[in-house]
Amino acid sequence: MRRAGLFVGLLVLAWLLWDTGADPVRLARGVPWILDFLRRMIPPDLTVLPAALAGALKTVEIALLGTAVAAVLALPLGFLSARNVAPAPVFYPARTVLNLFRSIDTLVYALVFVAAVGLGPFPGVLAVIAYTTTSLAKLYSEAIEGIDPGPVDAITATGATRLQVLRYGVLPQVLPLFLSYVLYRLETNIRAATVLGFVGAGGIGFYLQTYLRMIDYRAASTALLVTIAMVMVVDAASSRLRARLI
Amino acid sequence: MIEVAGLRVILPGAVIALDGVDLAIRPGEFVVILGPSGAGKTTFLRSINRLIEPTAGTIRVAGRPVTGADPAALRAARRQIGMVFQQFNLVRRAPVLDNVLAGRLGYVPVLPSLLGRFPTRDRDLALDCLAQVGLAHLAGRRADTLSGGEQQRVAIARALAQAPAVILADEPTASLDPALTAGIMGILKAINTERGLTLVVSQHQLQTALAYASRIVGFRAGRVAFDGPPAAVTPTVVDAIYGATR
Repeated sequence: MRRAGLFVGLLVLAWLLWDTGADPVRLARGVPWILDFLRRMIPPDLTVLPAALAGALKTVEIALLGTAVAAVLALPLGFLSARNVAPAPVFYPARTVLNLFRSIDTLVYALVFVAAVGLGPFPGVLAVIAYTTTSLAKLYSEAIEGIDPGPVDAITATGATRLQVLRYGVLPQVLPLFLSYVLYRLETNIRAATVLGFVGAGGIGFYLQTYLRMIDYRAASTALLVTIAMVMVVDAASSRLRARLI
Repeated sequence: MIEVAGLRVILPGAVIALDGVDLAIRPGEFVVILGPSGAGKTTFLRSINRLIEPTAGTIRVAGRPVTGADPAALRAARRQIGMVFQQFNLVRRAPVLDNVLAGRLGYVPVLPSLLGRFPTRDRDLALDCLAQVGLAHLAGRRADTLSGGEQQRVAIARALAQAPAVILADEPTASLDPALTAGIMGILKAINTERGLTLVVSQHQLQTALAYASRIVGFRAGRVAFDGPPAAVTPTVVDAIYGATR
């Protein structure tokens, strides 16, 4: 049985290699080109540093604004799609809608919004909001489903209204988790927003792509280094904040 | 004070938890509910404020119908029924005073309460209740930094803050060090004698039950198997509640 499984697995793998045209020889032949590419990136062209920094700042702005708006929009959605809080006729449609939209990536939203509102950081912000809202709502709802029901019982027993029970029995239990998820999303959105520039939605990615198209590899390497630094700084700040929440 | 007639509760999975309970509890009584685990003690207490929905029967508390009450009437009824739980059920991350203030949720204006604002009068009352259980000095501490015994006293203060007519306590000492049992039961007894509140407390320790109760009600297999003063609890009665000794 295990042997048969292994055989089928290897068969599938072999077919995948063939169908994707994977070829070690081709890769080996490409190595000099990669090295040439890297050589041409050195030294970085620091004259484009101000432009790259401005682009990075724009990327951080896109991620920050998008994440912040999504963090709020996801709140009602999260509660409506939590099994232990929402009534069944609300819960099932809400959960279905969330799963439907969550399968669409930020980049796809960006393509749609660039077409709808034009180039620049604004469609980027919209794309980040669209994806992050549904993904946070899902995380929120799972946090709500994992709460200790004891305090909810206790608050209900005082004669509190439904909203008061949510505010005093549920919210204090999930708020630190929510904040932690928002920060985690901010980290991934920084990366996502970098790529957004490639489709015209503003930020550092736009510069990176422009330099690559102009075959200005030394400028591109500056943009790349700035991207790496930006991601590291945001990650460090965010994970430090998250550690303090738990 | 509490009138229960024909109470039947069938839990999910077709488990008959209560099978026709009739009980009238007079004002100022200290009733201890005895019985083996699974006899229906918890279900009985949680039915009184409809944390569990009765399948059949009627319940009135302090003259108000609990069964059949619409949501607003149910909240008004719950307001006058304080409840103390085996696991304390405090909001662990919230300060002690906030936990006690939760007992006021049925009285204060809803909108300000959702923003975390309580009238000064209610804050003073919450502090008084905290003083009554001897923990006024811990008002600002986070609930989860307190010992188990202290947490249960906070939970009692929360019930007191409801200015209730009745306090229900579901195995209030079962999660505590046996040495703390007398302290908690003593506080409940003091509430009973000094404030004239009606208490219904479930207990699995026979000696504790006999020491504090003015009336013992024994449950067995979802029915009342004994009802009388502690002095009438003979070995025969204990057998009737807990099953014949082998």
